[in-house]
Amino acid sequence: MKFALLSISLAAILAWVVAAASQPGEKPAPLPKDKGPLKENNCTACHGESDLWEGEKRRFHVTEKDLAKDIHWQKGLRCHDCHGGDPTTRHYPSAHDVEGAKFRSIKSPKDIPGFCGHCHSDIEYMRNYQASPRTDQLPEYWTSGHGKQLKATGDPQVAVCTSCHGGKHQLYAIRDLESPVYPTRIAKTCATCHSDPKVMEGRKYHGRPLGTHQYEEWQQSVHGKALLEKGDLSAPSCNRCHGNHGAAPQNVDSVANVCGNCHSKVSELFVKTRMKHRFEQVGLPGCATCHGNHLIRHPTDEMLGMGEKASCVKCHGEGRHGATLAGAEVARTLRSQLDQLSQLITQAEAKVAEAERLGMEVSGPRFDLRKAFDARVNARTLIHSFAPDPVEHALSEGIQTASEVEERAEAALQEHTNRRIWLAVSLVPIAVVVVLLLLYIRRLPIPNS
Amino acid sequence: MSPASDGLPPKATRWQRLRSFFVERLGLESLGALAAKKRVPIHGKTVFYFLGGMALFLFAIQVITGALLSLYYKPSPDQAFESTRAIMTEVDFGWLIRSIHSWCANLLIGVLLLHLLTAYSMRAYRRPREVTWITGVLLLGLFMAFGFSGYLLPWNQLAFFATRVGTAILGAVPLVGPDLLLLARGGENVTGDTLARFYAVHVVILPLAVFVLLGVHLYLVQKHGMSIPQSVAAKAGGEEKVPTMPFFPHFFLRDMVGWYIALGLLAALAALFPPELGHKAEPFGSAPPGIKPEWYFLAMFQTLKKLPAHIFGIEGEVVGVLFFGFFVLVVLLVPFFDVGASQGRPRRCLNLLATLAVIAFVVMTVWGLME
Repeated sequence: MKFALLSISLAAILAWVVAAASQPGEKPAPLPKDKGPLKENNCTACHGESDLWEGEKRRFHVTEKDLAKDIHWQKGLRCHDCHGGDPTTRHYPSAHDVEGAKFRSIKSPKDIPGFCGHCHSDIEYMRNYQASPRTDQLPEYWTSGHGKQLKATGDPQVAVCTSCHGGKHQLYAIRDLESPVYPTRIAKTCATCHSDPKVMEGRKYHGRPLGTHQYEEWQQSVHGKALLEKGDLSAPSCNRCHGNHGAAPQNVDSVANVCGNCHSKVSELFVKTRMKHRFEQVGLPGCATCHGNHLIRHPTDEMLGMGEKASCVKCHGEGRHGATLAGAEVARTLRSQLDQLSQLITQAEAKVAEAERLGMEVSGPRFDLRKAFDARVNARTLIHSFAPDPVEHALSEGIQTASEVEERAEAALQEHTNRRIWLAVSLVPIAVVVVLLLLYIRRLPIPNS
Repeated sequence: MSPASDGLPPKATRWQRLRSFFVERLGLESLGALAAKKRVPIHGKTVFYFLGGMALFLFAIQVITGALLSLYYKPSPDQAFESTRAIMTEVDFGWLIRSIHSWCANLLIGVLLLHLLTAYSMRAYRRPREVTWITGVLLLGLFMAFGFSGYLLPWNQLAFFATRVGTAILGAVPLVGPDLLLLARGGENVTGDTLARFYAVHVVILPLAVFVLLGVHLYLVQKHGMSIPQSVAAKAGGEEKVPTMPFFPHFFLRDMVGWYIALGLLAALAALFPPELGHKAEPFGSAPPGIKPEWYFLAMFQTLKKLPAHIFGIEGEVVGVLFFGFFVLVVLLVPFFDVGASQGRPRRCLNLLATLAVIAFVVMTVWGLME
């Protein structure tokens, strides 16, 4: 699906180049004197000739070597498949179909989405290359911020297909490791414009300046580190929240609520809370209010409660946005219980590890310890319901399990000590018997044969 | 029972009457006479005679602890690991019984190997004790089979994959290899069928075979008496002039000292170094790193591992298996290769081979342990 988009993009660029070259009044470049016999595709006979294209026209110079990495070229598409014209002739008017209407030209970047969409929106055509191709990129694009801006202003700096999918005539398959939209590279591709102060100058989002900090912040976030440092391709980059071609992924009313696409359980809890409606009333974004948007840190228990690093304190500490003191007390209580569970888990884990080190069989407690971990994860998730009862229930389950595990590990350690004591106790009578036997043997005369 | 009929004085105590009851019915008099008659030679190598008794003692422990373990062990893939874990954690002193069973198996093989070497060094296999030697070697093989079959029973990762590797070696035996493999595993792969098979072999077939062979071995030892080294006999001027001690109680008491020491050693090993249970076997999981068999198979395993892929155009593993088969045959037939044993002629060639075998065993075992 994506490579088809790339093919259109390639075609668009080539068409634009050719169209620009054939502007009325411009004198066609002279044909090279000796280009050998006619071939199936003669476009590069002229466009691949370096000497023919100088100055402003240099951009029309395209060689087969340039095209080698292009997915469209690799799939067998040639210049005329995107640009039209007749590749079998070197007669300029015929080759560029000057008199006919079959030559597809690009007069401005505004034409590129439609140019690519010519094939990429045609499901029948795209099925030649994929069993179930996606063909909704073009209509989605027009719903995006980029698409709307382009349609409204024709701004040449607005991203179009070719801006993201590759350079001039080098459009990559999206799964190609060199593709600018490969998961590990797409954020940097977005940043080429969004981190450039010149390009972003004066641009606004919902009335606020767009800024150029997003990429840098994302790199420091838990998502950025997971993707860039751990190579976790499931970690989100720009497109997972902001959409590939459209403004936001499907089933999401706004980017602020996009987190639920992956963090579904948390989202499910949050949307049922009064907190969500309150956030909406006072204009706070959902998840981002506590977790941030681009600079999302790994969540810790410190975010809960009324401590310095807590998120709750931002509103409940000063009574902002109608936050209550009762809510502050709930946050304090939950944090206290969560800390208690974490402390118990740490203690139990240390004792289980010590018992294992001593060779004791504690696989049962080790297994049950996971239940305590699960209870803590569950409690941390349930915090997003902003209802104390289910959180306390989950925490009490975890506390009980961790306490039991600690007791069993303690018993195993005690058993280890007991074994040594009993060993010593049992060796003493054995040693006594051996000594007595030896003494008796010494006193026992050996009769003659 | 009248006093006249049982030969007891009219005022015989209750204990005397009870003893008389059993003596009359079980023929204990002849056994007592036999025990009183049995004597053990005294010389510089008398200590070697203790190894047989030590092996018997350890075997008795294995029988007792094995019987206790079988009360709780469940030989199925779904329950083997769990029941072993229950033995280790829930059954009173279960950990101790399993630990002793595991350590005792290792000590028993060690003692048997020493018994074999000392018997070889004393030329104890010479006429008329050839069959005693052969039954002894076969017994060692049976106890190694005990170790191999018992290793799988906990059904943990290490045991599962070690058994897969171990049984695969059988497949390398020329001609009958594939059939042997199927026979050992009960199918193409190591499965629950293999576990059931190994359990049956471990608790029924091998014990029966051991009891039969052990009976023959002990009968022959009793019949031919303890072998006296030729050098000792020559120095004393004949075997009959070598000083001896009664088996009861003199030698038996000395035996008991060794047994008590072995018991203490077993208790210490079991308490301080209980065998790990590991993780439950996952047939579709990846093999854990550093799979190794028990130490007594390590030399063979390491040799097969280090052999080149092909030797003279034959698969290296096949050559290795053939070599070990040939080696076992030579060990079994040592009494017949040592043709000058009765005349006391030196056995330089056999000694050289034996020395090389011992060195190779030690080197390959240490190499395997270090890898």
